[in-house]
Amino acid sequence: MDWLYDYISENAFWTIVLLIHGLISVALLGALTHQAMAVLMPVKKIRVDDSFVTHFRAVTAQKYTKAICYLWISSFIFGAWIYAQYRIYVRIPIEQQELYKTLGVFEMKEHLVVFGLGMLPIYSYVWKHMKNVDYDLARKCTTLFLTGVCWYAFLIGHIVNNVRGYGS
Amino acid sequence: MPRNASHQILSLKEESSRYRSMAVIFSAMTSLFYLISDVWKLPLFTFYPASNRFEWGWSAATPDDGPGMYWYGWIATASIGAGFCAILIGLLPDRIIKKIPLSITWWTSLLLVPVLIYSLKFYWRW
Repeated sequence: MDWLYDYISENAFWTIVLLIHGLISVALLGALTHQAMAVLMPVKKIRVDDSFVTHFRAVTAQKYTKAICYLWISSFIFGAWIYAQYRIYVRIPIEQQELYKTLGVFEMKEHLVVFGLGMLPIYSYVWKHMKNVDYDLARKCTTLFLTGVCWYAFLIGHIVNNVRGYGS
Repeated sequence: MPRNASHQILSLKEESSRYRSMAVIFSAMTSLFYLISDVWKLPLFTFYPASNRFEWGWSAATPDDGPGMYWYGWIATASIGAGFCAILIGLLPDRIIKKIPLSITWWTSLLLVPVLIYSLKFYWRW
């Protein structure tokens, strides 16, 4: 990586990687929230004068599945790449500030995203077999679990980023 | 329907239910093995980000290498363990495979969340 630092500073490089990780997470959050709303409160018919919320959940939920899997894996890879930098440059100063609860909720995020990663094969399977009513509950539960984890991870990531501040 | 075609559909269905059961077990076992490797210090390796050094198994922080990271090692342990269990399940006869409920996927993950919170008790200081 040293050759790259001739062109941009190390700080700028990791900030860009973190921003990419954040942008992928935003896309994932949007996709999962749409799908979760669609699976919880499906809309059979949509009219132009229906509310924003009705339009929000009136998506073809199945079409989001592949994108969600790819986004989860991409976000995970970027997160794992940044994690080593976090361990040295972010976690140690937070420990010195004795912000243990902040560290704890971040550790929780790291654990939960692994649970989510493990759930992707069965999640994609039950969505692939959309017409099988036996999988209705599984579709709901796996989608809700992933959505919950994604929201938690997104918010906690944001909080931890704010502890040290942008570009620090 | 010709006999060959119906046989092919049946075998596709069997393959599908086999994959389904393997995915269910993989998902549940990933969470379980991950938690076990975290609580019982069983990462496949330890990574020292300050010196870019790897060490097999769990190993403590050193003055030369700085703090160790276990997260990557936990994921490796969980993936291998869960993959192995999924393959074993894939070898079982269909009548047993079909009895594996889908719900263990989310129940395992959900039930392990309180255990995870407890395992992080070091951080919950007031």
